[in-house]
Amino acid sequence: MAKWGMVIDLEKCTGCQACSTACQMENNRLPGENYQDVLYYTEGKQPAPTLSWFPRPCMHCEEPSCMHVCPTKATFKTEDGVVLIDWNKCIGCKFCMIACPYGVRFYTDEKPLIEPNIKSVFKGEGDLSWNPPYKGPQQDASHGVGIQPNGVVSKCTFCYHKISKAPKGTPDLSNDDPALREFVPACVRTCAPTARYFGDLDNPNSKVNRLISAKKGVRLLDHTGNKPQVYYLTGGGAAGGAIPSSRANDKKA
Amino acid sequence: MTTQTAAKGPVNTIMAAGLTGLVVSLGLVMVGLLQEGHAAFNTGSNGITWGLPVVTYVFFVLTSTGLTFVASLAMVFGFKDFYPIAKRCIWLAVVTLIAGFASLAMEIGHPFRMLWAIPLSFQYLSPLNWMGVFYAAYLGLLLLKFHKVNGGDWDSGTSRQLGIASFVAVVIAHGTLGGVFGSMAMRPMWYGGLVPIYFLLTAAVSGAAFAVLITYLTYGNEAAMPEKVRTLMQGAMPKVFAAVLAVVILAVVSRTVTGLWSNADGLQVWDHIVASPWFWIELLLMVAAFFMLLTGSSPMWPAVMVIVSLFIGRYEFIISGQLVPLFKGSWVPGLISYTPSLTEWMLVVMAFSIVFFGWAFGEKSLNLEAAPKEQ
Repeated sequence: MAKWGMVIDLEKCTGCQACSTACQMENNRLPGENYQDVLYYTEGKQPAPTLSWFPRPCMHCEEPSCMHVCPTKATFKTEDGVVLIDWNKCIGCKFCMIACPYGVRFYTDEKPLIEPNIKSVFKGEGDLSWNPPYKGPQQDASHGVGIQPNGVVSKCTFCYHKISKAPKGTPDLSNDDPALREFVPACVRTCAPTARYFGDLDNPNSKVNRLISAKKGVRLLDHTGNKPQVYYLTGGGAAGGAIPSSRANDKKA
Repeated sequence: MTTQTAAKGPVNTIMAAGLTGLVVSLGLVMVGLLQEGHAAFNTGSNGITWGLPVVTYVFFVLTSTGLTFVASLAMVFGFKDFYPIAKRCIWLAVVTLIAGFASLAMEIGHPFRMLWAIPLSFQYLSPLNWMGVFYAAYLGLLLLKFHKVNGGDWDSGTSRQLGIASFVAVVIAHGTLGGVFGSMAMRPMWYGGLVPIYFLLTAAVSGAAFAVLITYLTYGNEAAMPEKVRTLMQGAMPKVFAAVLAVVILAVVSRTVTGLWSNADGLQVWDHIVASPWFWIELLLMVAAFFMLLTGSSPMWPAVMVIVSLFIGRYEFIISGQLVPLFKGSWVPGLISYTPSLTEWMLVVMAFSIVFFGWAFGEKSLNLEAAPKEQ
């Protein structure tokens, strides 16, 4: 069984946000609730300000703290290493949102980011939070795929509706092989500078493993012990090198 | 069992106010929730995840814990001076626990799903589950104990064992609630093995404060109290109250100084906390209450001051632990800003109304003044 993981080359990422947009379309996300986000940080003043950016999907950790705190086991890890949420079992206690060190979980029952409220314009049917004019994958509540229902938490699924259909034993899912393109996660498939790679971390011959080895891939906040399955290539720095300390910003609430 | 002097305090007024508050607040909460769902709260994915309803939950379940501690002084540890308020404390522990649970039920996305999903898919690693198990067991034991006491059975083997079991259950329950926050290494403002102990201390002081306040509300003033209650309120009670309060003040100061000094990312929120007047109001109220208790004046106002102070403290603890954003970039460039919505405030009113209505109902119908014969 594969252990799916991702490699993001920060030296190639241009911060164009095509990944975020593709993810939003693919997964029916509401504005501001991006499974995949490119975070921007500004630091310093003229004449030498710094603008940095950091692409951040769910880390699909080997030891996911979100899964351990979930009282109903709604958050679970699949045999192929993907952390998912069973929306039929999620009770919306939001402990996972508290316990995730990476801030990648979403509860859509909240004030809208922009007006008019998209949820009011495209009203959801039944328990669904909204009814997007463009529909992504088929609804699969037990894997947290599709339109998010009310009262539950959601997160990046590594596009589980795609990768779970890939041929078994595939070392990498990339655009390079036309036969595999349909199984590539939306953010990887759309990445113009090819800064993202997706493959089997348990397969020593996969491209993701070779990149991690050759370019010294590192993980974000490794000290938390969560052991992300998303690795960053930084050209030698730490994974968080693109992120200023949160106290570098103005902290007035 | 003896029935002591009939209560002369404003029980009827408080019962009416509690019922009115409950109807109005519950009505407004239901309107908000039915119209907007949880969007009626000012919580959110890029903001505060656990808002004022969780603050209210923690405040009241820890108050319930503390009230059981006060009742246990007589029923478990044999300090007979506390018997005259023991039954009232048990009843109040029940209603504060229900008030806390009610606030939480309104906050959870699927409270009814919780009833089957947790037992059928029990995640033993989750502190939240153990909190639920032990608080549920505690509620059951507390009700059984109250049933015994209400029937005049204070001292049978079963009654004593129920008292001890309730005490043990709530010590573990509050510890697991402490674990919900204390286990979160990714949120350093909360993290630490001593958080359950911090909760134990603050629970004890909140129980003492509510026990004093409700006793004064029952009788109106000290002159109207039966002699044994008056002796307790002028002697052992304020002394125990002051002693625990002193340790709580030290704990608050110690957490603040450590937080201000330490440099881990996430702890910068302490600068924000001490810049707020609420922190100084919290501290001032506690210190002033402590000295008022030492001077031997009536403990009622110190009790009110401590209740207000502890509510500020619970808000500060739970909200501040989330104020430093985790990987939100320019979505949240500074600390997260959070102001509770009307619906959230109405949940606070609802919980307090449940407590005061529930207490007044008990005072009128359940003979809360009862104590064992030898008392």
